[in-house]
Amino acid sequence: MRISFWTLVSIFAWTILIALLVLPLGSVLLSSLQDQAGDFSLANYARFVETPRFRTAFLNTLIVGFGGLAGSLLLGSAMAFCMARIEIRGSRFVSLLAILALVSPPFIGAYSWIVLFGSGGLVRQTLMSWGIFIPPIFGLWGILIVFSFKFYPYVYLLASGALANINRSLEEAAESLGLTPFQRVMRISFPLVLPALSAGGLLALIHSIADFGTPRLIGRGFNVLATEAYTLYSAEVGSNLSMATTISIVLIMLSMFFVFAQRYMSRRNVYHGNLINKPVKKKLTGIRNVAAHVVVYAIALIGAMPAFIAAIYSVRRTSGPVFHPGFGLDSYRRILYNLADVVQNSLTFSFATVALIVTIGTLIGCLVARKMSVNNSLLDATLMVPYVMPGIVVGIAFVAAFNSPPLALTGTAAVIILSIFIRRLPYSVRSSASALRQVSPSMEEAAISLGYSPARAFMKVTVPLILPGIIAGGMLSFVTAINELSSSLVLYVGSTATMPVRIYIAINDGDYGTAAALSTVLLVLSSTAIYIAFRLMGRDERALL
Amino acid sequence: MSYLTVKDASKQFGGSVRALDGVSFAVERNEFFTLLGPSGCGKTTLLRSIAGFADLTAGSISLDRTALDSVPSHKRDIGMVFQDYAVFPHLTVAENVAFGLKARKVPAAETATRVAEALNTVRLGAMAARLPAALSGGQQQRIGLARAMVIRPKLLLMDEPLSNLDAKLRIDLRDEIRDIQKSIGIAAIYVTHDQEEALAISDRICVMNAGRIEQIGTPQEIYADPRTIFVASFVGTMNVLPREAASHLGMSDAAASRTHQWAIRPEHIRLDQGDAPSDSLRLSGMVEKYTYLGREAHVLAQTPAGKIVLQVADPSPALRMEPGSPIILTFRREDILSFDSDGVRLKGGGN
Repeated sequence: MRISFWTLVSIFAWTILIALLVLPLGSVLLSSLQDQAGDFSLANYARFVETPRFRTAFLNTLIVGFGGLAGSLLLGSAMAFCMARIEIRGSRFVSLLAILALVSPPFIGAYSWIVLFGSGGLVRQTLMSWGIFIPPIFGLWGILIVFSFKFYPYVYLLASGALANINRSLEEAAESLGLTPFQRVMRISFPLVLPALSAGGLLALIHSIADFGTPRLIGRGFNVLATEAYTLYSAEVGSNLSMATTISIVLIMLSMFFVFAQRYMSRRNVYHGNLINKPVKKKLTGIRNVAAHVVVYAIALIGAMPAFIAAIYSVRRTSGPVFHPGFGLDSYRRILYNLADVVQNSLTFSFATVALIVTIGTLIGCLVARKMSVNNSLLDATLMVPYVMPGIVVGIAFVAAFNSPPLALTGTAAVIILSIFIRRLPYSVRSSASALRQVSPSMEEAAISLGYSPARAFMKVTVPLILPGIIAGGMLSFVTAINELSSSLVLYVGSTATMPVRIYIAINDGDYGTAAALSTVLLVLSSTAIYIAFRLMGRDERALL
Repeated sequence: MSYLTVKDASKQFGGSVRALDGVSFAVERNEFFTLLGPSGCGKTTLLRSIAGFADLTAGSISLDRTALDSVPSHKRDIGMVFQDYAVFPHLTVAENVAFGLKARKVPAAETATRVAEALNTVRLGAMAARLPAALSGGQQQRIGLARAMVIRPKLLLMDEPLSNLDAKLRIDLRDEIRDIQKSIGIAAIYVTHDQEEALAISDRICVMNAGRIEQIGTPQEIYADPRTIFVASFVGTMNVLPREAASHLGMSDAAASRTHQWAIRPEHIRLDQGDAPSDSLRLSGMVEKYTYLGREAHVLAQTPAGKIVLQVADPSPALRMEPGSPIILTFRREDILSFDSDGVRLKGGGN
């Protein structure tokens, strides 16, 4: 039997998924179901339920998840409404700020908030000297503030897209039928953007649950499942892998549950508007205009603040971890002399990951988009799993699976590259599949009818047409890869530390100058990649989600 | 042997869905041959089989005395024009047209001449350096046409090329396609679901339904001499009346015994204003609806034989037809067609 090229791709895709997803997840599940002696037992889960510390962490995870969701929904929908329906001066700048908030790693956000509102924070100290006392930002409220201003762009980008796509005739029809403006918003506009709101909210929720850096840095004793899993795994004495894997399983179940709940909620609500009558932006005057601008700019500037703080603090004069008055490039000098290998690691790992993601993701994307079959829908569905896996879980799963021969990969660069690769693969497959779906199959058929063999027609016509989309997708993958913290933190050893890992360590050591400089380097690299992506595919902020 | 022959073509999708069911026909050199039918009748599947994009379950196709069955589509030398234009957006208009010549390794100088010639034929000479995105739908389809013609293919296939264009442009471009096809003398197969387009453009029409051929003939034969009730109703407008209407239509019991349905075109029925020939049949009725369309008007009348539409040519703007007013319809017996219970036309019509 002759095996076709696409059959090979399909086998290859399944091999990758089994090796990098099923095997690690299986190891995690197996480890969570074993007692000390290695026999099957539910003792770990019993312990999870019985131990007050884990129960608190579970509850805390739900609190930060829904808190982050509520905050993001509030900020995101307020901004979306203003930006989509009201003329805001400098709206392009505002969405640039939203992008900045989205791409700056969450732990930079935590760090910047500490710099301003921590115990010795700049703003807090200034206010204290005026006689105003505010508590330091540490704890639950700190986490919620950081999450809200970090994850609101998910809601904003999706909801503003939906709001801008509501056919104005629908609202006019409602008005002509005698509904008051408030009724109109509640009965027409709101149901129409609900799917986008719930999709954006889901992203905020899942990221809030999965985030490890923020609660770790700013929580100060407020523990969530992600931090507990890391603590159990990394404890110098009495490291408890089977308990860490148990928590990982709980985290995955939690994320999965929310994904399916959101799917179920919005199962009926798919509306395809025809855009004959596009909504127009209203020009407000007077106090209402000022209020709208204040809301939009406050959200956007506070959201992007961590990036600015990092940039400013990176050029402050320092000696060691201590800041001095005035500006200088000490921190960058320190990176150059002491941490060049970390920067190099980050770049090497990211480029290797992107190369893997682009080639393999595109191949699988073609398979999913063009060769529809039961097998490929199953492939598509399986690819959803890494999407809901928190980074910390991927890290622990890889340790569980690749710690012993035949696949003893822990401690190598490969294990970090592969962990980022599998997490980002779903995005890449989706984006290349959608790029491919936009190329009409008749395009290739036209080339074939003109005398090109199918393979040449694909190379000559389809590839040039999807190439910008693929490169743009690669650039966005680069952004995720270079900013990745949680799985690398579990998987790194001294020689494979990356920039985010080093920033995390620096913040923990109180070396804020180095952290700020490294963060700025990260932000510059990320912004460059996003700039290239937007140049290639047109400015489309939603591609970042 | 004819230029293109399709023999017993059958195509089965999945279980028992038959997209094509034993289709056979032949097309001559220079002939403009149209496949006409509703969506899902198999016409596009048939076209794609000829192009080589779909495999037949059974049957054979030969072109210019060569069996095509084992020839891959890119070696068939068949030009194709697509419904969605399929113009390459990353290439200029001229590069689009030159695309097929490149695959044939035509020398650069000759390519330039042939591309310029083809673009002039479709009146796009001035657009050669533009990118297609800047062009209208009609212009993009002209690129598609030039691109397919310039390789001087053995056969030109067109898959509903005009269906995405607006009405006026559709008529202009269809005349152009017809003229170009005749001037270069190429065999063309054209797929459409628009019966008026088919009548206007074709040398012969093949009407298809549910994977089978209903009738092949010239536009005149298809319209005036339909072989089945399907062709009669699909092409143009047709009043279809049940067998029981026989007595009102002046039909004998003998004729009615084999008939399942009667049919008569609206333009064959007139309003009686006392000037009808004496051998005409008459039927009294009542106006139900009057639709004024400018160069003609349609009257929907309630009669003892059933509801009948009749057409008034060049209606006077002063003509008023209030619902409920009585009218008399006149028609000739030989204009009435009769069909049996299988939908097949009975010989001799109403006589």
